[in-house]
Amino acid sequence: MNITVTGSTKEYPQGLTVAQLIQLEKVATPEYVTVSINDEFILSATFAEKTLNEGDHVEFMYFMGGGR
Amino acid sequence: MAFSNEQLERYSRHMILKEVGVKGQKRLLESKVLIIGAGGLGAPAALYLAAAGVGVIGIADADDVDLSNLQRQVIHTTPDVGKAKVRSAEESMKAINPEITVHTYRTYVLANNIGQLIAEYDFIIDGTDNFPAKFLINDACVLGKKPFSHAGIIRFQGQLMTYLPGQGPCYRCVFSSPPPPDAVPTCRQAGVIGAMGGVIGSLQAMEAVKYIIGQGELLCGSLLTYDALNMEFRKIKLPRRDSCAVCGSQPTIIAPFDYEQAACEVKG
Amino acid sequence: MDDYQIDETVDITDVVCPVTFVKAKVALEELSEGQILAIRLNDGEPVQNVPRSMKEEGHKVLKLIDNTDSTYTLIVRKAGE
Repeated sequence: MNITVTGSTKEYPQGLTVAQLIQLEKVATPEYVTVSINDEFILSATFAEKTLNEGDHVEFMYFMGGGR
Repeated sequence: MAFSNEQLERYSRHMILKEVGVKGQKRLLESKVLIIGAGGLGAPAALYLAAAGVGVIGIADADDVDLSNLQRQVIHTTPDVGKAKVRSAEESMKAINPEITVHTYRTYVLANNIGQLIAEYDFIIDGTDNFPAKFLINDACVLGKKPFSHAGIIRFQGQLMTYLPGQGPCYRCVFSSPPPPDAVPTCRQAGVIGAMGGVIGSLQAMEAVKYIIGQGELLCGSLLTYDALNMEFRKIKLPRRDSCAVCGSQPTIIAPFDYEQAACEVKG
Repeated sequence: MDDYQIDETVDITDVVCPVTFVKAKVALEELSEGQILAIRLNDGEPVQNVPRSMKEEGHKVLKLIDNTDSTYTLIVRKAGE
């Protein structure tokens, strides 16, 4: 199935969960990433069971603490 | 108010713009912006807002200028090393534009002073370098109904978003609470490319100016991310989180509070 | 006999481009739609640019009078916002 992750559309295995996608995409801080699917935030507690569907639009948001 | 010929000349490139014009420049001259943090983000933001003629600029920072700051904090110069950052920043701003008023606050921004600090300003710029401060500024601005620009930078990356009272999602909608101390690297540990502060801090100044003149679309409901290595800007749509602890429908945060600082962040 | 009555005048001979246009713009801002501004401007760049800029902003240029002392008077009717 095709899903769009941070703007690029690729082929991913059927039944992929958010937790698996985070692993597949090598997210640097998997415990602290915010995820949205189709412009809705996903609770981090549900990453393991939440499965992705064809055409989904996934965004990762990362903590950036610097500024000075 | 009447413009002097000198003011007309100073602000001519603004006033020629249809979107700014005479009215917009007047609004800028009558506006008040608070910049929290006189560092990588705060430096360009303060310089551009001073140059733009923002009537009152508040700048808050407890630290002194350190040699390691000068790689990116362009508001300070080598002879300023050892000087209070707010003093050095004030001098640079006044040198660019002697017309403006600068208020300096040589203090850390904490739960016990932030409410009073932000109260008299129209727009707040978060130029801090740690999560406790970023969450504190968010909570205080949401509770105090103040628009603000949030930003963060690290390595070759930066991001920013704008909060508008009663409208947009807040920082806490995106990140419900700070990561544990030292769980996520900061600039001090990870480094940051100097021009990143210039890009993102200037974008924060741009948001403040657009807010003041009432033109264009603000980054309300979006997070703009910048990846310098891939030279890629992305605008990520941000929904509101109804369960948000501070701006949601049943808020549990009713007053600003301080989070514990990471051990390595205590000294600024 | 001209069919307009000047409501306000501004002298922009004491400034240079692009402040000339800005000064005229500030003066126009003070007027209401339909009112007439007389702008005294220098020969050369101002007389080439200011009338064009006024038109670009949507205002109506009624007349350009040569004062024969190397200044001109530009008569402009203010447009609505």
